[in-house]
Amino acid sequence: MGFRYKGYAGKYLDVDLDKGKVHIKDMEEEWALLYLGGTGISSKILWDRTGPETHPLSPDNILIVGTGPLTGSMFSPSGRFMFSGMSPQTGIWAESHSGGFFGPEMKYAGFDFIILNGRSPNPVYLYLNDGDAELKDASDMWGRETDTTTDMIREQHKDPSIETATIGPAGENGVLYGCIIVDYYRAAGRTGLGTVMGSKNVKAIAASGALGLEAHDMDAYLEANEEELAKVNDELWESSIASLRKYGTTDLVAMINEIGRLPTKNHWTGFYEDADDIGPEVIANKYRINQEACYGCGIGCKYVFRVKEGRFSRGPTGGPEYETLMAFGSNCLNNDIESIFHLGTRCDLLGMDTISAGKTIGFAMELWEKGIIDEEDTGGLDLSWGNVDAMIQLVEMIASREGFGELLSKGTRQAAKAIGNDAWKYAVHVKGLEASGQDPRAHQSVGLTYATNVRGADHLRSLSSLEELGYPEVINARFGKEKFEEISKITSPVHKGEVIKDIEDLYALVDSAVICKYGTMWPPIYYFDTFTNVIPPLTGMSQWGDPEFVRTAAERICHLRRAYNHRLGITREQETLPRRLLKEPMPTGPAKGGLPDLDYMLDEYYELRGCDKETGLPKKDKLRELGLEYVYHDLARRGMMQSY
Amino acid sequence: MDRKREAGIPKKKGSSILKKALAIDNSRCTGCRNCELACSVEHTQTFNPRRSRIQVLKKEKRDIIMPVVCLQCENPLCQEACPTGAIHRNEEEILTVNPNSCIGCGNCVNACIYGGIAIDPITLKAIKCDLCGGNPACVEACEYDAISVVTLDGDGLRERAQGVGDLAKKYGLVREEA
Repeated sequence: MGFRYKGYAGKYLDVDLDKGKVHIKDMEEEWALLYLGGTGISSKILWDRTGPETHPLSPDNILIVGTGPLTGSMFSPSGRFMFSGMSPQTGIWAESHSGGFFGPEMKYAGFDFIILNGRSPNPVYLYLNDGDAELKDASDMWGRETDTTTDMIREQHKDPSIETATIGPAGENGVLYGCIIVDYYRAAGRTGLGTVMGSKNVKAIAASGALGLEAHDMDAYLEANEEELAKVNDELWESSIASLRKYGTTDLVAMINEIGRLPTKNHWTGFYEDADDIGPEVIANKYRINQEACYGCGIGCKYVFRVKEGRFSRGPTGGPEYETLMAFGSNCLNNDIESIFHLGTRCDLLGMDTISAGKTIGFAMELWEKGIIDEEDTGGLDLSWGNVDAMIQLVEMIASREGFGELLSKGTRQAAKAIGNDAWKYAVHVKGLEASGQDPRAHQSVGLTYATNVRGADHLRSLSSLEELGYPEVINARFGKEKFEEISKITSPVHKGEVIKDIEDLYALVDSAVICKYGTMWPPIYYFDTFTNVIPPLTGMSQWGDPEFVRTAAERICHLRRAYNHRLGITREQETLPRRLLKEPMPTGPAKGGLPDLDYMLDEYYELRGCDKETGLPKKDKLRELGLEYVYHDLARRGMMQSY
Repeated sequence: MDRKREAGIPKKKGSSILKKALAIDNSRCTGCRNCELACSVEHTQTFNPRRSRIQVLKKEKRDIIMPVVCLQCENPLCQEACPTGAIHRNEEEILTVNPNSCIGCGNCVNACIYGGIAIDPITLKAIKCDLCGGNPACVEACEYDAISVVTLDGDGLRERAQGVGDLAKKYGLVREEA
């Protein structure tokens, strides 16, 4: 009895929302062995259950909640879990991860995965408790903000330790970038999966459990875990870790502005003169009141802030991350830090991705500046750069899809299409997802990351910090001394295909295990050997002790996700960058004159990835090698495979 | 880690020792709950925070993060409330539950005003911190050095009072200047 591999809860939930039934099923052995968990297993489930005929906001789309073997296992940092489905924003592969405490609690409640199918006739929330699951009425929660919803669920069950993942009005109303808020201020932010949840009439998922998790060989696992933790505490990383503990991601505002890639004025440039006003020091000195950590994490990058007085005063709240400071700050030429706190918090409460919201508003501000839209379009709102009052009104209008907010609730790609004229020139997105806080004109490899990323212009699937922040020892160890000089040049496209392919593979495992990008991206401590070290004693999957098996698994996950997108029509043509980031040289700042050499990097990437350079599609041999024959057959049937 | 071990309890039985307890510096706690995980592994060989003998209480909206654990009271209310005499001091002067006598009635849980004792959801018997017989797993697991072992003499009591003082300030029991 029980699931063969440890570290897993051993069960998953298949929820039929149409009929209001939950089906508890045994985990599939093959899923764990070949795809590990999180992103990996999701890619298999999504491939099997959705495709070109699926509309993201129809009942046919599914929403997956996924954990990995390391979730809740004391590995630091492992308090993470993920959501997956087809994105309403991009129409392709979507995944979104969050920290906090929900993921581990879901496993302690007895489930590794949840698959939500169909659409409930009435608002419901899913409640998991000690191996049981039931759908409960959420009519009185519908329309509520995320914190109220969490409070109501905890009160309903008289259990303050229940962990929740909930949507807000934005996800209910069909804003294409509605997100899922975990506890009060952690978010599975990107790609609009909160809106998928809303389209299914599911308000929240709540979990509470005392079932616990076993290890295959607890002593060996704890020892391996200790070895990995010792790497974090190595003095090589002392300053990076100290910075994360003190500033969290806010430190990036200063670091990134210094190299000239802080998106400013809707990505017009990468250098913001007022960056100090929204940066780490002012936050740490004036507003930060506490440090928090996700489950079992020894880094503790989350800060709690408080604005004591004035228009934006509020009680203790989870502080905005770098990306939010960028999106509502430099990106909109807004240096009023208290307004950014407010905007970030409102987005959390409304359940809306701060990056897409801020970027879409910045886009509208540029259209205003260029005279492409005027007061008639905005309903009287003055969208001059940095107009805080307009931004505050817009965030509310977007969430409720009122007036001009209706247009912006669709994101930059669709809004640009509806506006017409030259609007498209200022829509900074890839595959429909607004760019996160990086600029490839200052950092070549970001161009490749954005272009090839399975979920659009997003940094979290393969961003390289190696050349950006300078980790010479790591570059030498991973790629060899002879490549050091070119790789460490942030403005050189040479060898970046190799670096990005390697990091994309690594992050595929990071997102499947599921652990945090801290400790893997910044600073780059954990690598493939981490998985060979901890996965076998935890799970009993001895194959994961073989470095080659681990590399192959990583590639398998990457190819399966890519193939999912290919099947939806993504080829090299779509793996590109918006005009601004590809054709307009950086106008000011330390990276002045910079432009990414995307074609050069793409060629190298496709070659190493085992893809055809012309189309970006996978080669037959590569899919065979990875055990993805079923992908080959499907693509071939659709005429998407050539004989190479 | 060594610093913590030094403060630990001598393992040799019968040695003349002062009473010990855990002291928590709340200002260092980030609420990561790794202490709970470590405790559950030590006592149950599973990752199961509900079976931990240290519990981190949270109220995020008020920025309250509060680990609670047995204080090894001088006059333990739990012991008084136990109808079967299952709670006693062992040879190292640590308040301990005898699982054979415990009937899981929960009187001890109701009696303890600090939330220092709980009912194990699997065995349905009372569980509480036993200081792991010398090297508490929670102390080892805390990456933020928020938990330490103190002797219940002048210095130790002072250290514990300091922790409580910080708490009182934070939760408004003592007014801070605005």
